Amino acid sequence: MSRLWILAISFMIVFLLAHGTASASDPSPKQANSLQELVDRFDSSSCRECHEQIFSQWEKSHHSRSLMGINDYIFIASYLKKGPLAIPSGEKATKKNFPCFKCHFPQIEFATDSVAAEIAKAALDNDKETVRKLNIGCLVCHREKAVVHGKPDMNGIYGNNDIKDHPETPVRKSPLLKNSLMCGQCHGLGPNLEFETPVQCATLYGSYLHAYIPSGGTETCQQCHMPGGDHYMPPNFNNRTELSERLRNALPMQVHALAYSFQPKEEDVRPMVVVNTKIFSKAGHRIPDG
Amino acid sequence: MPQATDSRSNHMVLGPDKKLGLIRDTSIQPFAPKEESIEIPLPQGLTNVDVEVNLSYQPRPGDIYPIHNIKKHVRIDPK
Repeated sequence: MSRLWILAISFMIVFLLAHGTASASDPSPKQANSLQELVDRFDSSSCRECHEQIFSQWEKSHHSRSLMGINDYIFIASYLKKGPLAIPSGEKATKKNFPCFKCHFPQIEFATDSVAAEIAKAALDNDKETVRKLNIGCLVCHREKAVVHGKPDMNGIYGNNDIKDHPETPVRKSPLLKNSLMCGQCHGLGPNLEFETPVQCATLYGSYLHAYIPSGGTETCQQCHMPGGDHYMPPNFNNRTELSERLRNALPMQVHALAYSFQPKEEDVRPMVVVNTKIFSKAGHRIPDG
Repeated sequence: MPQATDSRSNHMVLGPDKKLGLIRDTSIQPFAPKEESIEIPLPQGLTNVDVEVNLSYQPRPGDIYPIHNIKKHVRIDPK
């Protein structure tokens, strides 16, 4: 009997050690099997309790509706219907049909293909209520994207300062948050060649790096698009008046008009107007991009 | 605007699912003012001209965001 006990206890010890070792070497969270599970995992609504103003700013930004295009339409549906990413029905979709999610919904990395199928079905059914749930929330920037040297702690939160007594989870400082590369992770360098179907959407960060900086530009993305930490992050393409105003300020234009009679040879008189235009740019990147 | 091909030919393509690389870029670049000079022939005898220049942003066909609207009045001296 005592031999049996020794055997049982030894087996338990071995089992516990193996389980512990497996857990230590595999820190990645379990893949979500449903869209709601993924949405819940990245739910940032608890941040609102203390960060009401920032949350309200974010709610008005395109980050809060990263899969809804201008004027609230589900742009991704068109790529699922026609082209190299097209599928016969939503159920057939896998994560491979959504290279766009690298930037528009990076949380998909922590989900199975069944979640991709759910999203595809919602997009093709024009189910805006579901698609609107998908966003670049607090935990995308302040966790998943906050560290590029190594991997972020997927149970941690990152901010501009260390805050040990932050509710729920201590905040660790990440200097990346104030650096243009933070935005550049998604706002585009050009072709994304790592996918089976390579894609190219935004090239804004590339323009910033290779046109603005070499020309003497010194400001970060955040200094122009998040002044004082404002999370509204313009432009807002759904606020047409505001966007027109922003473009007007970013692209001053001069116009000169000259009317005269041009006479290239005797008796050949040609009245004309010459209109000279000059458009300046105060932006940190090309306009337009995309 | 940045104009892209799929890098398999020199035909411009549309849509992020097809674009790879750039072949031409007519966008307004940082610190690089864009100048244009347009000559408009006038009918003989016309002496007063109203010029109106509109700059707008059009992300999709028909979806127009006005930026600048500048008007000038010019005249040709009568003979």
